[in-house]
Amino acid sequence: MNKWFKSGAPWIWLSAGGVSISLISVLGLLWLIASRGLSYFWPSELYQFDLLDKNGVKSVVIGEIYDREEIPVGQLAHLNLDLDPEQEVLERLLIKTGNRELVSLDFRWLLSHNITNTQKPKDLVVVERRTHGNFYGYIDSMVVDGNEVAVNKLAELLTRVERFQQQIDELQKSDIGAINYQLERLRLKARKYQLQDKLTPERQAKIDSEVVNLNQRYAKLEQELMGYREEISRDHIVMRAMDGQLVTINFEYILKVTFNNQLSLLEKVSTFFSQIGGFIIEDPREANTEGGVFPAIFGTVLMVLLMTVIVSPLGVIAAIYLHEYAGKNAFTKLLRISVINLAGVPSIVYGVFGLGFFVYMVGGSLDQLFYSENLPSPTFGTPGVLWSSLTLAILTLPVVIVSTEEGLSRIPLEMRYGSLALGATKAETLWRIILPIASPAIMTGIILAIARAAGEVAPLMLVGVVKMAPNLPLDGNFPFLHLDRKFMHLGFHIYDVGFQSPNVEAARPLVFATALLLVSIIVALNMTAVSIRNRLREKYKMLEH
Amino acid sequence: MISISPKALATGSEPLIKTPLDLNNLSPEQVALDINKLNLYYGKKQALNNITMSIPKGQVTAFIGPSGCGKSTLLRCINRMNDLVDDCHISGEINLHGNNIYNKHVDVAELRRKVGMVFQRPNPFPKTIYENVVYGLRIMGENNRRRLDEAAEQSLRSAALWNEVKDRLHESALGLSGGQQQRLVIARAIAIQPEVLLLDEPTSALDPISTLVIEELINDLKKQFTVVIVTHNMQQAARVSDQTAFMYMGDLIEYSDTNTLFTTPLKKKTEDYITGRYG
Repeated sequence: MNKWFKSGAPWIWLSAGGVSISLISVLGLLWLIASRGLSYFWPSELYQFDLLDKNGVKSVVIGEIYDREEIPVGQLAHLNLDLDPEQEVLERLLIKTGNRELVSLDFRWLLSHNITNTQKPKDLVVVERRTHGNFYGYIDSMVVDGNEVAVNKLAELLTRVERFQQQIDELQKSDIGAINYQLERLRLKARKYQLQDKLTPERQAKIDSEVVNLNQRYAKLEQELMGYREEISRDHIVMRAMDGQLVTINFEYILKVTFNNQLSLLEKVSTFFSQIGGFIIEDPREANTEGGVFPAIFGTVLMVLLMTVIVSPLGVIAAIYLHEYAGKNAFTKLLRISVINLAGVPSIVYGVFGLGFFVYMVGGSLDQLFYSENLPSPTFGTPGVLWSSLTLAILTLPVVIVSTEEGLSRIPLEMRYGSLALGATKAETLWRIILPIASPAIMTGIILAIARAAGEVAPLMLVGVVKMAPNLPLDGNFPFLHLDRKFMHLGFHIYDVGFQSPNVEAARPLVFATALLLVSIIVALNMTAVSIRNRLREKYKMLEH
Repeated sequence: MISISPKALATGSEPLIKTPLDLNNLSPEQVALDINKLNLYYGKKQALNNITMSIPKGQVTAFIGPSGCGKSTLLRCINRMNDLVDDCHISGEINLHGNNIYNKHVDVAELRRKVGMVFQRPNPFPKTIYENVVYGLRIMGENNRRRLDEAAEQSLRSAALWNEVKDRLHESALGLSGGQQQRLVIARAIAIQPEVLLLDEPTSALDPISTLVIEELINDLKKQFTVVIVTHNMQQAARVSDQTAFMYMGDLIEYSDTNTLFTTPLKKKTEDYITGRYG
């Protein structure tokens, strides 16, 4: 035994154990998020349950099985169920029943004890709608232009509506959006002239004529829009709900109608992937609890990229000064210690700082100087994507500085001497030899910065993230990149959907799906940076002497 | 006493016995470098004591001596590499063309272009072979592709490396062997046509065959450049140099033509060192 200890084997076991525990927890976390998140996209089977409660009342429930759990019989004593005395646990099912206009809750617990019959009728459908969530039931009839038609026309009608819907979206987002944007700019232009006392009648007339022109175009587009609206609201479908009620759903509100129980495995797989695709490229609906997360993905990636663009030069320059030019004295040491300590400051503190300094001071002053025509409504004096990136850049600055300095100090003196001995100045040596060799270390700093910034939510809540941003920070209107705009962020989206939404139960799988997406995006950003670093490393690897 | 016959191992077709220069009475056009009363201190510790010597043009001068004797320090004074060491101060003069290189108006980068240096361990930059050779020229602002190509070929030929690398000029220099890397570094140094080439123990990290190649190279290089070499290997000094200076504890003990120094040293310390009693 003593010999075994002396051999060092226990320490190897201990360290290997540590590694396995970390590995297991990481993989477990990923597995949990992935399984819960991905199951959200799998088209589940639709069930019809016939129920009989103890008073002999019969009823029918239609829906998807969401969850099942076993509960001890003791907990249900107050229900006075007629049970086998041997039985200790009872299964209960959580059913998503949808149909929000008919019932107050779209989830319902069923005791398996009460279920007399379970079936999966082939003609049961789930209708995804723009509002009110899913509808589960049977198609009773379809009405096209006042005439009833056969159910097999469904696909054709849906395609028609989708085509019109796309045109409507196009009109609303780009054409009408652009006109509104230009109108706002004209208003600001007029206001600017007014503030500078330069609003001559000619200028006023010119602006007015442009406004009239735009308004005319607006009216025309609006008419076109109304036309499309009328087209898509022409037809409707009549559904029979679980309790036999007939509900009319206009095609305008229908996104998709699926006969889940008729899908073959291949169709299920293709539905699964198209749902994932939709989740990635669509806008959210219904207070973020339905639809996709595209604006949040876009906001997260844009903010991280902006942050990288800001933090990299800043951190590298600071590290170069500290390492190459600053005197080696107590003050430099103090500076270095402070930089390292900055990395330990809680992120919410940076958020408060960003709000006070960037948003109110810098942004407020910018508004006074350049956007006074828009006051009192702020342009840059309000949280936005630029301030978020700047705040996170400061948050991640120490990481970049420390790793760059580390990289600089690892470069052998001979490299510097070799360059200096050829008549290069210090700056030339730095630029041509030192920085390229240090670039993998700089990339390591950037990777760590990205990893930290992409996962940060708390400071962003103060300096730019919102639950629902009407516009992306990037669009077709000049100057295309609107750094003053607020943006959506996946991390905040998780918090918002999971804990602030009106329907937490419905949003739960969405939380996992969004978390999975956030993790994948961070991994993707990191992988890109790592592959760049590895290529640099390959290029500038030092010979082992 | 072990008698070393100098030049016995020397290669090439030079005559075995040459008329040695009178090092104390060189005419100004024979002198490449004139070191005058040079003292060097690292902090409070004096590392070089009042060194005075003249290094003749177009010849190979070797500095020998035990570790820590100041031979490398003296070499580094010649292209002012000691400026990079904190706490190092220098008094006295080193004259290149009659101008003191320690004059405060001297552009150090300019000086280092005239006085090239090769270090103990090969230090090619992590660039291609070609970019390594033309680095100094690029620093000087030469961007003409044709002129760079010519200079690269000529320098690599002078460094006896051309035949080995001509087909892979645009591959990384780090793929070369240690000896090739050291010749590449020499090619890099001579590409900018310096007047003096300083070699700081250039073969100490190399195998015997690479050492032999470099020694042959040094013999060729002195046709174009004044070469100053630091070595701890006495046989090497005997083989490659025309003059040898023996240093001990920061003092220049003896400086004469190599033949004389190794066969009939004047000082006891020199004799002790070259016969292997210490060092």
